[in-house]
Amino acid sequence: MKKPIVLLIFLFLIILGLALVQIGLSNKIATTGEQLTALQNEIDVYKKENTILNQKLLSASSLTTIAAKAKKLGFVDDNTQIDLSAPLPLALRQ
Amino acid sequence: MTWRYRVTLFFFVILFFLILARLFYWQTVRAQELAALGQAQYGSEITLNPQRGQIMTSDGFAVAANKLSYRVFANPKEVKDVQNEANTLSPVLKEDSATISALLSLNKYWVSLAPSVDQNTKNKISSLHLPGVGFEDEYNRFYPEASMAANLLGFVGKDENGNDKGYFGLEGYYDRQLRGKTGIAVEIHDALGQPILAKMNDTTQEVDGRNLILHIDRTVQYLLDEEIKNGVQKYGAKSGEAAIMDPKTGAILAMSQYPSFDPRDYQKYSESSYLNTFITDTYEPGSTFKPLIMSAALNEGLLQPDTKCTICSGPVPIGGYEIHTWNDQYFPNTTMTDVIVHSDNTGMVFVGQKLGQDRMMDYLQKFGIGDLTGIDLQGEEAPGLRPKDQWYPIDVATASFGQGIDVTPIELLDAFSVIANGGKRMEPHVVAAVQTPDGQTIQIPPKEIDQPVSATTAQVMTQILVDAVNKGEASFARLKGYDIAGKTGTASIPIAGHYDPTQTIASFIGFAPAEDPKFVMLVIFNRPTASIWGAETAAPVFFDVAKKLLMYYGIPPNQ
Repeated sequence: MKKPIVLLIFLFLIILGLALVQIGLSNKIATTGEQLTALQNEIDVYKKENTILNQKLLSASSLTTIAAKAKKLGFVDDNTQIDLSAPLPLALRQ
Repeated sequence: MTWRYRVTLFFFVILFFLILARLFYWQTVRAQELAALGQAQYGSEITLNPQRGQIMTSDGFAVAANKLSYRVFANPKEVKDVQNEANTLSPVLKEDSATISALLSLNKYWVSLAPSVDQNTKNKISSLHLPGVGFEDEYNRFYPEASMAANLLGFVGKDENGNDKGYFGLEGYYDRQLRGKTGIAVEIHDALGQPILAKMNDTTQEVDGRNLILHIDRTVQYLLDEEIKNGVQKYGAKSGEAAIMDPKTGAILAMSQYPSFDPRDYQKYSESSYLNTFITDTYEPGSTFKPLIMSAALNEGLLQPDTKCTICSGPVPIGGYEIHTWNDQYFPNTTMTDVIVHSDNTGMVFVGQKLGQDRMMDYLQKFGIGDLTGIDLQGEEAPGLRPKDQWYPIDVATASFGQGIDVTPIELLDAFSVIANGGKRMEPHVVAAVQTPDGQTIQIPPKEIDQPVSATTAQVMTQILVDAVNKGEASFARLKGYDIAGKTGTASIPIAGHYDPTQTIASFIGFAPAEDPKFVMLVIFNRPTASIWGAETAAPVFFDVAKKLLMYYGIPPNQ
């Protein structure tokens, strides 16, 4: 009986290919966790940075801070009001 | 042979059912317990805390936001020189060295040394490189405008489980919307404890809190806060409060009181200072109540602005009492317009008698007196109206000029805004919209509650109130060039069954411009000492704020 050499080679190559794919995938999955953790840490860092910057922005732009700084620089309330009266209608100029 | 075959078959069937029962026991009865046990071997449960929603004024500025701070902790087992480390940390943490030393001497793996320290303090401690000392991130509430609108905002404290919880004001009323939803995730570890996948189970993912967008105008709020604070100090009042509302929508544009508290350090203040007195405290409104009773009588067609008072030539005797005017000046045959202009108590008794108890009570209910206004703030009180059978003729007489009847300031402001809004009463509201974490904005539309008086009555009453401002006792303070409708109030304070003649609640209520009102405002000073009169204390502050508001809104004079 003739040995099915072609079939055996084909099966061997399939086994070899699948083994290599498994090694590759395992290798990738093994490092994915680390990468994900790194990404998550990075997100956390940016979130924290955003919170801190937002806090600084709100503190600097609050009316309480602006009023205190303006007072320190010598600004005073402007209570002057100028009314520009409408001109009288021509018909009244008789 | 058959019996052997049967015994073997029976044996295998029994075995099959035993295995089935055991599998059922593991996979159904103890499924959850075993799953949790398995999960504990490859991962750990972590709590995902949501960020609390922000509270923003109408210009989009966050008046309540979140800030990052740090909890300083230590592992006493890793601390080698307890006393030295305590002495080093003491000045940085501003904590007694002995207290820190006691904490570091405990037989524990984790002790909290200080909660909520800022970035600078954290950096200082980090640079000391102290063994066993670490930091945990914490998110705390942050109020950039300090005590501005503090009683309106409320504050965030802790509940019985140590979780964040909003108390008072908006933080309390909208706590469920603001706090969001805590999530739980499972972090999977390898044999060395390194996380393999960041999160596995995200079925209970955290949901950040919703943001609130307010009707409050930050500039108007700041302005009002300053004016009330200055007013309290200038007139030597025990306290002061005020609110500004858009009469057409019921939108609260500003609400202020002094003294107040700082929500960042709420623990340093007494519990009574957390209350928003504009919605919680009741008082007898005095003359600021007169326009409501007059409107009711005008709306019923019982009186006209030029109707003459037939009992105004002197004190009016009722049920053993005598009703006097505030200055003991009497105006025989005075008109209804002049009754309001002179704030004539005897004239109002005449109006009250014309109206009668039943109609008066009916109108008071339509104006919302005695009921909750429905404002979206925690802690609103409603004093209620006395039952019908407990009213006597003297009560009808005194209620007509605002004594012997209790209201909250928000009730009076809402009722008075009826005159400014063509007779319609709106529900006062602080929040304009709610913003979901995915950016969707849910608008809260204005809500009309009732129409106590007709548009014509409101117009007539407005003109009477403009006359009251132009010719009344507060006319010296009025804004020239503008038509402003308003009324002063000097209410006596009932103490132990009688009214204290030396202490009053001075107030002014009004709206501007009278022809097309942009705002309605109520200013109240509690027990002013510089002068007991509303015309000399609350009215000048009202007109000062009104002037700035008219400039701010760019409304030109009409005269």
